[in-house]
Amino acid sequence: MPRDLSSLKRLLPGRVYDGEADRLTYAYDASLERSRPDGAVLARREDDVALAVRWCAERRIPFVVRGAGTNLSGGCVPLRGGVVVSTARMDRVLSVDAPSREALVEPGAVNLALQKRLEPHHLFYAPDPASYRVCTLGGNIGENAGGPRCLRYGVTAHHVRALDAVMPDGSIAHFSLEDEGPELMSLLIGSEGTLGLVTKAWLNCVPEPPEIVAVLAAFRSIEESVACVAAIVASGVLPRDMEAMDRFTLDCIEAYAHPGYPQAEAVLLIELEGEGAGLALQLDKVRELCSRHGTLELRLAKDAAERDRLWEGRRSAYAALTRRSTNVLVEDGVVPRSRLPEAARRVRAIAQAHQSPSSLLFHAGDGNLHPHLFFDERDREGTARAHRAGQEMLKACVELGGSISGEHGIGIEKRAAMGWLFPPETLGLFRRIKAAFDPENLANPDKMFPLPGEPLPAPVRPARPCSPAAQALIDAVRERAAERRPFSLFGARSKILKAVADREKGWLTTRPLSAILELEREDFTVTAEAGISLSELKSRLDPEGFFVPLPVSTGTLGGLLATKPWPGVRDGILGMRVLLPDGTVHDLGGKVMKNVAGYDVPRLLLGSWGTLAILLDVTLRLSPIPPELPGELPKPKLPRMVSWHRRLKRAFDPQALLNGWFEEPR
Amino acid sequence: MKSLGRLRTALGERSDYDAVAQCSRCGYCEQACPTYKATGREAQSARGRNQIVRQFLEGKFEDPSSAEEALSTCLLCGACTTACPARVPTPDLVLEARREILGQPEWARRLLRHLLVVRPDLLAKAVRAGFALKRMGLAGLAAKTGLLRLLGLRALAEADAHVKETPERTLAEALREDASLRAGPDAAWSYFAACGTNFVFPRVGLASLRILHRVHGRGAFLDNPCCGLLAFNYGDLETARELARLNIQRWEDRRSDAPVFADCSSCAAFLKSYPQLFLRDPAWRERAEAFAARVKDIVEVEAPVRPGVLPGLVTLHDSCRARHGQGLFKEPRAAVKAAAAAFAEMECSDDCCGGAGLFAFKHPELSEELLRRKIGHAKAAGARTVCASGTSCLIQLARGLEKYYPEGRVVHWSEAVCEALDGSDG
Repeated sequence: MPRDLSSLKRLLPGRVYDGEADRLTYAYDASLERSRPDGAVLARREDDVALAVRWCAERRIPFVVRGAGTNLSGGCVPLRGGVVVSTARMDRVLSVDAPSREALVEPGAVNLALQKRLEPHHLFYAPDPASYRVCTLGGNIGENAGGPRCLRYGVTAHHVRALDAVMPDGSIAHFSLEDEGPELMSLLIGSEGTLGLVTKAWLNCVPEPPEIVAVLAAFRSIEESVACVAAIVASGVLPRDMEAMDRFTLDCIEAYAHPGYPQAEAVLLIELEGEGAGLALQLDKVRELCSRHGTLELRLAKDAAERDRLWEGRRSAYAALTRRSTNVLVEDGVVPRSRLPEAARRVRAIAQAHQSPSSLLFHAGDGNLHPHLFFDERDREGTARAHRAGQEMLKACVELGGSISGEHGIGIEKRAAMGWLFPPETLGLFRRIKAAFDPENLANPDKMFPLPGEPLPAPVRPARPCSPAAQALIDAVRERAAERRPFSLFGARSKILKAVADREKGWLTTRPLSAILELEREDFTVTAEAGISLSELKSRLDPEGFFVPLPVSTGTLGGLLATKPWPGVRDGILGMRVLLPDGTVHDLGGKVMKNVAGYDVPRLLLGSWGTLAILLDVTLRLSPIPPELPGELPKPKLPRMVSWHRRLKRAFDPQALLNGWFEEPR
Repeated sequence: MKSLGRLRTALGERSDYDAVAQCSRCGYCEQACPTYKATGREAQSARGRNQIVRQFLEGKFEDPSSAEEALSTCLLCGACTTACPARVPTPDLVLEARREILGQPEWARRLLRHLLVVRPDLLAKAVRAGFALKRMGLAGLAAKTGLLRLLGLRALAEADAHVKETPERTLAEALREDASLRAGPDAAWSYFAACGTNFVFPRVGLASLRILHRVHGRGAFLDNPCCGLLAFNYGDLETARELARLNIQRWEDRRSDAPVFADCSSCAAFLKSYPQLFLRDPAWRERAEAFAARVKDIVEVEAPVRPGVLPGLVTLHDSCRARHGQGLFKEPRAAVKAAAAAFAEMECSDDCCGGAGLFAFKHPELSEELLRRKIGHAKAAGARTVCASGTSCLIQLARGLEKYYPEGRVVHWSEAVCEALDGSDG
């Protein structure tokens, strides 16, 4: 029996729907999962959301926020019933501030509606998921959505400046990039409605480039096309997008939309943007690299109409593929770019082994693969086969140093797959973060992480041994944790108040952790230990043409990130290995350009001043050309601890062992 | 059988269940669905309706009657099918579910059949009587409307309040007397008089005929009964089939392969879909295929027009059954754009205006919201003239313009094109 919502109806007259037809239609999203809620609230404004959440919180009734319900992983399916809070009617683009390139939107505003509002200002909003015509910006934030253009511009997390959110207790909070202390806003992005419900968002908009040209290049094999992609990135050309399609996809598209694509094993579609001679130079480079990598045919579209024709096929890929069968499972693995050929080979082999027909289409520049698997959900066995094949593809991506989701989220369908990526201790950390924000476990429960007690596969991520210096630090911390002995930890102590530095005795330091662990030349990523000085890091990499996207500053890499004197430090962060005060080590994020598996703890830790965890090493995205960076940085100011930060402190450091000086009266 | 059971879909002929299973819930239809955009309610989206139909077919619905609102608020506009990657035929599926779940009271079915099939002359008389009453003045109208409401015939009362035009003669009556429209071997086309044109907008029919004469020479009036759409949507399939057979026979009797033109896009689309009524009846299916292949919407006529003749800014409202029912988008624009002194597209030109047959009378509030949006878009485009090709759109848009944007006028595509017809014989 569904729960009785009559008192909620009195609270929100005309906005609560709990008939069977409504419960049935809020039971699904675009995944295969279904579970009926007890009813749904069609919120009109922030207060409605807060009222509904508070009503639920008081009665310990679970709730799930929902935008357009285009989620591919089960993220908005109300597994435990309860109330669906729909933002579909909070759909306004409230304002566009062109000079500051900022838009203020309600969560139910559709991605395309924002794009249309920005057009007259010659601006656009960069994330462009395939469902951009219908998906909502709130949903994009909840999933940290991407899209083809994210190659050049980054994903949703790079384009949110501030958020209003209704927290799981029904309170309303505001988070912004300007906030001092840990990046709580980044924690909310991609949290799939498990930590709070976004009710307003201030988004970053980007100026339209003066010119765009599109190139289509055909190749004899996926391998050749991907090698070409890597070469283009390494040449310093950063395309607007770079998409690859395999033969099967091309055939389906040709049969449906007749774009006249070449008959080839692989096709790359590349868009370049810029102006005049600069653009011409990029184009020359791309042409040369394509022919050097054995392209069979190269087509160039100079004007919008020609470009449109080339893109029509790619745009219609989903439609063309979905007509092939009743259901299509769109997987979403991601690997370091250099591993794409191997990933493509393995994906094909897995599909064959499971006799599950599939095609492959990917955001090649980002290493983000979207295998499409065909089945009919009414055929149990075929569905199970497709599902198993999909899961194995994700496992293969993890084994290749990648992740199980680049942009679609974890939801329900990839919950168990998290076990391949994270050991139980790290999953435990995620759960403690969730509990810090939502102790009653009401906000979209049972999502993103394996359920307690659920059988878990063992992690298959390539092992990364620690340096002796890191191991020594880990041992020292474990010793203190075992004795429950509080301790302080610093980098070079360049940013700590002198009074604090002088007072602290017997402190630990990351300073000896100063190695560059891995420089992936093809992928343009580096993993460096936290104690390395910025000047050393930059002086070793910059001359080789691998530019570190961080400003010069005194002190260590870890110190810069922990104190965050410039918000831009967040942009190049791909992953972190951290040591918790209890001595456990957690490998978060990774070496891939996009990754939405788990909470964004690496960004959360920016500005946390060593109150939550100790950075061991950091993986950064490098640039083949010198990035624009600020000159002198302001001296970072020691933040105050807000209540959410305090709650997180208990999740990361329940015994209050680390850097207790932070909380002492100043 | 209450329902068709099998449908013609873009992916081939399918059972209802296979057709609805093709909806993979991607949601790409959501922003195409006018009722979802107006309400934000998933149950009133195309995807929601597909899932309701599916769960009903799977027997997972405990109380199917709770689906009544979701099913009856579907405009049947088909914008979802246009947006759908797999072209799931949601309007047909909704109709199937309405037939299975909601049904119609027996007396209403019989009344509809009687008026449409057995005694169409009675229908004409009834409409004429209604119009006569209406012309008698507002007091009488108010009283009658109240009476209708009292009888629970809210839809009729609403219809009465919406219709502004009250011609004294039907179009068919006029055309039967026109010797130049008699059937004959030299007739290059047939004209199908839609009910909306016949009863409410004879002037539209006259405009269509002038265009047809100008472009294709001499033709004939088919002197047809209702196409059957009304019965298909609101009555029973048998009545719809009966009317389809009558129409097909009438066309066959002409022993001519000449095209049949209809000037209400809803009727044209339905005439083109006749074969779907006879999927289990091979003989009639073949006849229906032959007939449907010859049907043309009047907007498909390539009419020569004098450029820039239509004054003011002109825009086009895509009548649902032209745009989504027949895939006509460029066709209606060609002549109108050429004839207009200035043409501008309005935002969401292919969103339903909320007229949708009897929808405006059954769901006045929702219909009003859609109308308000539609007129808002026309106004924002700065249009003085809105062209449409569905007669239900004409009624609805005329009412909306009067209320929200009196500077604008609505005309049927034929009227606009006729006004600018090149070399017209007057």
